[in-house]
Amino acid sequence: MSSTASSSKATETKTISSTKEEDSQPHLGVLEEDDEFEEFEVADWDDSQTDLAHLGGAAPGAAKSGGDKLWEDNWDDDDIEDDFSVQLRSELAKKGNGGNGVETMQH
Amino acid sequence: MSSARFSTFLTQIAQALQDESGPELAYLLKPTSEHGKGLVKEFRNPTKQSLSYYEGSVESPWDEIAIQYVLVVNHCAKKRYAEAFKEHGALVSLFVRYFATNSGWTLPALFSIMRDLRDLAFDADLDASSKGQEGTANMEEAARIISKAFSACVTDRQSPYAESRKWGVYYVVGLILKCYFRVRRISLSKNILRAIDANPDIPPLSAYPRSHQVTYRYYIGMLSFLNEDFAKSEQELTLAFYNCHTGARRNQQRILIYLLPLRVLRGHLPSAELLKRFPVLEDLYTPFLSAIRSGNIKAYDSALEKFERRLVELNLWLTLERARELCIRGLFRKVWVASQRGTRIPISLFHASLNIAGMDVSQEEAECLVANMVYRGYMRGYISHEKQMVVLANTNAFPRLADRPAPYASLY
Repeated sequence: MSSTASSSKATETKTISSTKEEDSQPHLGVLEEDDEFEEFEVADWDDSQTDLAHLGGAAPGAAKSGGDKLWEDNWDDDDIEDDFSVQLRSELAKKGNGGNGVETMQH
Repeated sequence: MSSARFSTFLTQIAQALQDESGPELAYLLKPTSEHGKGLVKEFRNPTKQSLSYYEGSVESPWDEIAIQYVLVVNHCAKKRYAEAFKEHGALVSLFVRYFATNSGWTLPALFSIMRDLRDLAFDADLDASSKGQEGTANMEEAARIISKAFSACVTDRQSPYAESRKWGVYYVVGLILKCYFRVRRISLSKNILRAIDANPDIPPLSAYPRSHQVTYRYYIGMLSFLNEDFAKSEQELTLAFYNCHTGARRNQQRILIYLLPLRVLRGHLPSAELLKRFPVLEDLYTPFLSAIRSGNIKAYDSALEKFERRLVELNLWLTLERARELCIRGLFRKVWVASQRGTRIPISLFHASLNIAGMDVSQEEAECLVANMVYRGYMRGYISHEKQMVVLANTNAFPRLADRPAPYASLY
């Protein structure tokens, strides 16, 4: 009857249904829709036991530029040597650079 | 009839009451305890009538609570799930009657018996549905009983601040929301959340133990997500994640699975360091993330297709389908970079880029996609339709995604 018993039962049911699924569907382990947010083992804890400890004073959920190394906000890819960009540039060369007579946008 | 074990049990309860020891009371009322098993052996098929001998042996309602406890452990031992739930529900109701007229010292016991109530409802529903009966009635009843405890917490106007029953508010609400999510009746959450808002004298959430805060924020974040209030969802889930115990990995993962796409829409991609900690999320999201980084729409679409059913089950499909825009933005940005960041780029080049990326679209559709990107703030510029030319701003033609105002606007 404990919560452990309940969740092991739930896992059993799930295993049965998931065997029916085709292999292409990735298994997300614990991320099944019926899984629940679990009871915490302790009631309270301090900053050092959380990810706040990794922020170095930054606001939770900022990004690398703001001191939070768990997220990146400067990730635009400027690589022009990848296959795709090479193909694009050859397309560009074919078309030449048109655009005569269109006003430049001033901002 | 009289029982030595039960007499001891009653004495222990009386002692816990006298000491005002909530944890001891919680321990005594656990259906799975050793003393509970002892009591099962002591009484053969106990009923309320057969135990009525003990009424009045301790202060009311603890005599009745103790009797209920015997019934509960007995049903649990015999695996009679529906009966165990029913009798435990009666125990909780009696407990709440005591709780409502005292200070919050019994909160540890209240939390414990309500957790058991929910677990028993879970088992009873599972048992019912395995017999072909309706499988949510017990959980709904559990939510109703726990709601009474909620009212008893909120209405404390007498106890000193430190011992207020109000310190039970957020834990209890977390349990109720958990019940509603289980039976997919999340619209019922509104009443309880309204009751919190209507009681400004509830201490601030940040004053509660972190386990209460994180659970509450997780459910608020999830409710907001399902109600398509993505900005609020991102805010609550972010706080839930950062305040979560790092040892509670499954809970952190559960928070991140929803938080991650919301942050991606804001232009904040998870770092390799973060993903490495959660391999399940890494497996699920890496195809989408690398497609966004490289503007590879084809790869993005095939990831969408591959994960479709899982994403639909998790209510994530719409969000990731919308994040596809980031991928198109990445592709168009590549066109711009490949054109030496010029300010004039013919639509035909964007069209060609879509074709190279594996999207079989016409020039008109390509123009429409560019117009959409401009409209949504992904690109700064305008289209000269008659010249079939895109004129981009001299500076900041592709603003950083993290700088885009109202990142969730396109989701409505």
